[in-house]
Amino acid sequence: MKMLSIAYKDILIILRDRGTLLQIFVLPFVFILVFSGMGSMGEDEQEALPLTVVNLDQGSEAAAFIEGINTAGGVNCEIMDQSAADAQLEAGDIQRLMVIPSSFSADLNANKQVALRIITHPDADDNITETIRLIVDGAAQDMALETQIVASLTFMGEMQAAMPADQQPFTTERVLQQAESQFAISHERPLITVEQLQPGELDKIEEFQPVTGTQVAVPSFTVLFVFLSAGVTALSIYNEKKVGSFRRLMAAPMSKASLLLGKMLPQMVITISQVIVIFGIGMFLMPLIGLDGLVLGDHPLLVILIVLVMALCASGMGVLIAAVARTENQIGGMSAVVLWVMGALGGAFFPIYLLEGFLGQVGKAVPHYWASKAFYGVLVRGQDISGISTDLLVLAGFGLLFWIVGVWRFEFDR
Amino acid sequence: MSESILTVRDLQKKFGEFEAVKKISFSVNKGEIFGLLGPNGAGKTTAISMLTGVLEPTSGTAEIGGFDLRKQLDQVKKVNGLVPQDLALYPTLSARANLEFFGRIYGLRGKDLKTRVEDVLRIVSLTDRADDPVGKYSGGMKRRVNIAAGLVHHPQLLFLDEPTVGVDPQSRNHIFDSVRRLNRERGMTIIYTSHYMEEVELLCSRVAIVDQGEIIALDTIPNLIAMLGGGVIQVGLQQVNEDLLTQLRGIKGVKQASLSQSPIAPPPADGEAKDVSPNVPTYPVVKVETLNSQEALVNIIHFFNERDIQIASLKILEPNLENVFLHLTGKKLRE
Ligand SMILES: Nc1ncnc2c1ncn2[C@@H]1O[C@H](COP(=O)(O)OP(=O)(O)O)[C@@H](O)[C@H]1O
Ligand SMILES: [Mg+2]
Repeated sequence: MKMLSIAYKDILIILRDRGTLLQIFVLPFVFILVFSGMGSMGEDEQEALPLTVVNLDQGSEAAAFIEGINTAGGVNCEIMDQSAADAQLEAGDIQRLMVIPSSFSADLNANKQVALRIITHPDADDNITETIRLIVDGAAQDMALETQIVASLTFMGEMQAAMPADQQPFTTERVLQQAESQFAISHERPLITVEQLQPGELDKIEEFQPVTGTQVAVPSFTVLFVFLSAGVTALSIYNEKKVGSFRRLMAAPMSKASLLLGKMLPQMVITISQVIVIFGIGMFLMPLIGLDGLVLGDHPLLVILIVLVMALCASGMGVLIAAVARTENQIGGMSAVVLWVMGALGGAFFPIYLLEGFLGQVGKAVPHYWASKAFYGVLVRGQDISGISTDLLVLAGFGLLFWIVGVWRFEFDR
Repeated sequence: MSESILTVRDLQKKFGEFEAVKKISFSVNKGEIFGLLGPNGAGKTTAISMLTGVLEPTSGTAEIGGFDLRKQLDQVKKVNGLVPQDLALYPTLSARANLEFFGRIYGLRGKDLKTRVEDVLRIVSLTDRADDPVGKYSGGMKRRVNIAAGLVHHPQLLFLDEPTVGVDPQSRNHIFDSVRRLNRERGMTIIYTSHYMEEVELLCSRVAIVDQGEIIALDTIPNLIAMLGGGVIQVGLQQVNEDLLTQLRGIKGVKQASLSQSPIAPPPADGEAKDVSPNVPTYPVVKVETLNSQEALVNIIHFFNERDIQIASLKILEPNLENVFLHLTGKKLRE
């Protein structure tokens, strides 16, 4: 159990090192606060989200509706014909597709309820989809209300015209009353409903779970800082060598394996406590200060599994850095830069794992990507083990690779 | 009577093409304080590192406490104690926490560990300050903790690698006392590495002089100094030929005269060697080994005066280890 002695000693040292503690526990919190704050502030100035629309309706209502969405802001409709849109959605070139049925104008005019469908690509960001859905829904409500009011006002006008001038049945009060009752109806029984579907499951309508920025920001920054703390292990190994205490460890009756394991174990402890602290802040502290709280969802055990695999991966990374880096500067500065870039590629600042195209592909080269994606799967999409098993396997593969290369390249005599 | 605790056989270490330790062999007796004296870069630390399992030898082996270095490394490591040249301590931890850790990695636990830590703290007189972080200690105190850390597991054979570098004279004396007491009272065998000949002269019974990865002399201190005979005189001349050397050998009191391999280095500030001429010679130097340096000196000066040969420099080497080294290598221990 000399391995445990080394780990215990290293944890004592870390607990006395304020700079490291700050980096491990405080910095992630600051980042999450700053970025989730910025996210909600920036929303107004955001560029319009693209939404492909297939308009099967010949009437004037659909065109007005599309116009309504575009002027509401936030979403920009692109009209496309059905077959092209289906193909592009299939290929993942577009993420979402809204179909306006051919009966749209007719049904609306007949005061019948119309269902609009937004079909999403499986990889589409649910947050964005939900944002689009809300904007479309808003436009639909306005539209429906407008149609209803116009219809009843027209009706009233026609009746009025047919009456003699002194017996006009519709006073201002009655018109207002009529309008108010239309507002109430439109709320209770919206004329246009927007459903979100994935291709191939047009019949299955999922129950919608509200998704907040916290659900994405907290785990992504956790991943970033967990891997950043791999530098702590590397630096600790480097310091042992610089100070010469590494010689003492080598001169003691202990295998090289337990020496290395002893140096890696604190990284596991750091990772797990980082996750506990950061998630804890997300779950309990953020709601207290008026932000959305983190929700663990239906599979908290899967979260623990992701954390463990990530911890193994981060500790392997620590040894790899220690094995490859030659100077303190390389460990302190260069590895930090590399880890920040990897973190960014892996989706710390923006959920790159949801992107198609080049950027989305580049992210796959870093373990952060897979860890973030797994968290996203469990925390946002509510996936179970089968949904994130690929992510976990790739993450574990990265860990194994880091361990093997790290141990192989590790120089005990330097 | 002298039973050996360490026997080194053809121990070699190469770093790439560079041979830092060149197949050295020697043995150390139980209960000895054995010195490894040599300039910086001689290979002392490399040799010790191999013997303590820090570095793997390129070839050769050693037997330590009856165990083979190559085949029974774990047993060897329990016999050994290592005090590295650097302050190999964790500066943010207290002396006690450091010592407890170094005890634990030797398998000590619980009460046993506690008593041993208190014991070594007493040996280095640091019980009072034991709970302060080591980083706050003075250089001398750090050195003492550094030594204590090599003692917690009660080794039979203690390797001290330059334990007094950067230490004030008071702490230095304290370290010497501790080393002697460990040797005398606890029967610990000590291998003491240094590039200070005074330390080695003061502490060690036998000394191996190391240079460029080789042991160039190994003996008791009196025997090593006797290599200088009655003393060595270095004479710088404009010109030297074989004829002159032969004549020099004939002078009364002279044992041997030869052309020195390298010219004399500039005179040292502390005046360990006596200089007649302060000039740095750029001319050949004749090394004259004498039976009696005083008698030979008078005769040599007379010899050159008679022949009207100008003496460019003249240097008498005191009989000490520093000059043994100079005599053997033509270099000074400290540059
Ligand atoms: N890890 C290493 N790699 C390459 N050369 C080394 C290494 N360690 C020591 N050396 C070289 O070996 C020689 C002996 O070094 P060392 O054993 O530290 O000498 P000493 O302890 O006598 O001062 C030096 O020239 C040093 O530069
Ligand atoms: Mg050395």
